[in-house]
Amino acid sequence: MTKASMERGQLNRIRLHVIPTKRFKTFAIALYAGVPLAESSVTNAALIPFVLRRGTASTPETKAFRERLDDMYGAGFGFDVLKRGDSQIVQLRMDVIHDRFVSSDESLLAASLRFLGEVVTDPALDNGAFRTKYVEAEKNTLKKKLESIINDKIRYAAERCLEEMCEGEPYRLNALGKIEDLESITPESLYAYYREWLQHATFDLYVCGDTSLDEVKALVGESFSMPAGAPSIYGMPKTRYETKERKTVIERMEVGQGKLNLGLRANVGYSDPDYPAALMYNGILGGYPHSKLFLNVREKASLAYYAASRFDGHKGLLTVQSGIEIDNYERATDIIKEQLASMENGDINELEMSQTKAMIANHLRELQDSAFEIISFDFNSVLSGKQRTAAGLLEAVEAVTKDDIVRVAKQVKLDTIYFLRDEKEA
Amino acid sequence: MEAIVYPAVQETVYYEKLPNGLEVYVLPKEGFQKTYATFSTKYGSVDNHFAIGDGEFTKVPDGIAHFLEHKMFEEPEGDIFATFASQGASANAFTSFDRTVYLFSATQKIEENLNTLLDFVQHPYFTDENVEKEKGIIEQEINMYRDNPDWRVYFGLIDAMYHKHPVHIDIAGTAESIGEITKETLYRCYETFYHPTNMILFIVGGVKAEDVMRLVRDNQAKKTFAEQGEIKRKFDEEPAAVKNANAVITLPVSLPKCLFGFKEKELPKTADELIRKDISTKLMLESIMGSSSSLYQELYDDNLISDSFGSEYNASLDYCFSVMGGDTRDPDELLKRIRTSVDALKEKGIEQEAFERTKRKRVGGYLRMLNSPEAIANEFTRYRFRDADLFKLLSVYESIGIEEINSRLQEHFDWSQMAVSIVRKEQA
Repeated sequence: MTKASMERGQLNRIRLHVIPTKRFKTFAIALYAGVPLAESSVTNAALIPFVLRRGTASTPETKAFRERLDDMYGAGFGFDVLKRGDSQIVQLRMDVIHDRFVSSDESLLAASLRFLGEVVTDPALDNGAFRTKYVEAEKNTLKKKLESIINDKIRYAAERCLEEMCEGEPYRLNALGKIEDLESITPESLYAYYREWLQHATFDLYVCGDTSLDEVKALVGESFSMPAGAPSIYGMPKTRYETKERKTVIERMEVGQGKLNLGLRANVGYSDPDYPAALMYNGILGGYPHSKLFLNVREKASLAYYAASRFDGHKGLLTVQSGIEIDNYERATDIIKEQLASMENGDINELEMSQTKAMIANHLRELQDSAFEIISFDFNSVLSGKQRTAAGLLEAVEAVTKDDIVRVAKQVKLDTIYFLRDEKEA
Repeated sequence: MEAIVYPAVQETVYYEKLPNGLEVYVLPKEGFQKTYATFSTKYGSVDNHFAIGDGEFTKVPDGIAHFLEHKMFEEPEGDIFATFASQGASANAFTSFDRTVYLFSATQKIEENLNTLLDFVQHPYFTDENVEKEKGIIEQEINMYRDNPDWRVYFGLIDAMYHKHPVHIDIAGTAESIGEITKETLYRCYETFYHPTNMILFIVGGVKAEDVMRLVRDNQAKKTFAEQGEIKRKFDEEPAAVKNANAVITLPVSLPKCLFGFKEKELPKTADELIRKDISTKLMLESIMGSSSSLYQELYDDNLISDSFGSEYNASLDYCFSVMGGDTRDPDELLKRIRTSVDALKEKGIEQEAFERTKRKRVGGYLRMLNSPEAIANEFTRYRFRDADLFKLLSVYESIGIEEINSRLQEHFDWSQMAVSIVRKEQA
């Protein structure tokens, strides 16, 4: 496997990670800024990128700010607020074409980093605080986003299941924060939080494309006016849990299809030696169309269109999701539980082992073809403190035995069953 | 094998038309780990009334193209996903209005995976029993979409625009319509539309063109396909006017979802006209309501739109329509404001500067798309089925000027051709 070589450095509070390659027609840039996920700061941290994307000191009007992006041949610019492990992370992304395809006056990489530097460190201000108009509008946008989770029932059920399972833990919080916090946020209070965020958040900047660490370092030095100091690092997330009583939650809403979600504690994290075995566990259980859940819930029983599992290594959690006929709740739950039991009993054949290894290997190899996937994969190492390469992980997955998977299966504990159903009385 | 070089985008595509009529395209991408292949038939949800050569016309149940797509994955020895998994490939398929696409992506065993793709799509296996079993699964897929307000508001709009044309029919059909599907009707559709003359194979990634072409040639040479006459599709006459100017659906949503669009009266007559109309309309829509337009900013500032606001244009030789809108607190106010602004723009014209900026933006977006093997394969096939060439779009962009955009604005925003679709929660 050809490895994407990584050049690393740092500049003030920002760690730099550069992947020099000529394979893409673009430069991909991602800046991660993480803080501990906490009740008191979750909404402030979520709101920051919304306000930052309204304007910079040099282009304070949003229209002019967006025109700058259009002028860079429609540079892509976007952001996400993520929940990973015990951290809340703002990810800002840019994607701009290589100058060789167009007639541009200046390097589009330089223009993009200058843009991003201004967005993060030199925002539009009025009287030493964020602009009132932007803060109020973006509070409203964030509120609408939080309220709209209910529109997509698949996502709503997944979030409700996590929220119920993690009751009393910060992980129950939505990465976008809480509606009830928004009202009291002012341009001044948010700006004060932002100054603190610049000084305390963990910053990692990735650039993938036809460039070098030296070039990126020089450009970042010119474009980011970060406070002085050294980079901070992420704390180790909690991925081990006490066994508690199993919880069942049934919620009613005006829906036609029932959404059945199970939350489980895997008790294995990204940095654990058993992480590769946990990937195999998830793959055999429900990661693919050849997996037990797909075969048994969908193909054999015709109960669902989708039935799958997902493993979150940063938090040591596993979730199962399926959309079913409401009357089939018990049958579907039983079939899913049978699959969990068969994993624990080691009812895993050679074909399931080899198919799942081949699928995971394929995923690890093909992520090298996407700049943003190379970046996300590497960021897992930064976040967890455990350096893993795609090649190393691939080798570790190849070496996983059935016994390893059964060992993981015995640690997996079903925690919460959540069912979203219609309003009719049974 | 023919090499087609596109200097403007720095790509070379290798092409061959096989004796059985199959068109094969290979795009080698140096340094790429993965190979992505699509095997597509020009057959989608709209093709529900057809004949071959001088044969009789058949009308088939709604949702059958999609049902067929599901059923292709079953072979006598089991599910084809398992075979792909053993070969480390992730496989999938989708059905749209006008095509069905089977695909895989893999980093190893490319030859085996290509053979599997060609073989399973060219080997139907339908039984009374496996057809019945699939109905339960697809019913759940239909139910999933019925609960999805974005899907409902989108198809609600198309349904409001079209009286007769099958583009207004849900791609998956309904529980009732799929209930009518039998293995005989599936075979009938299969024999008609899965003939090599109606299909395209596109392979992109870390491959050598000659090796791949030889494999495909050998695979196809082992199979025989009866000669087939031309496929004829029949569509009932579609009135120029929209069917229903206002459609409303009730679902639990946080804010009303409002999409609106214009049904084109004049349809393009040739492939060239179609592509020009497609690109110029998209440039026009983006210029007047894209995220850096004045209209967008004003509506955003007044809390009438959110980040979900956008526009798209769907063009084909027998239906053309736009879709605009998003979540809004007040659909009536939103529509009123848009109408006022568009009417003002129709008076004074789109500014040259805004147009040039939009053009730059879309050219950049087009070039960025060419980084993605998936996007290349899917878009190339989509354009090819319309007799157009994805890699020549750059020159179409370059040839479009402000006058053409302004005349598109005049023509397209004909308020009598507008339909509105709204999804809102039950009103107290």
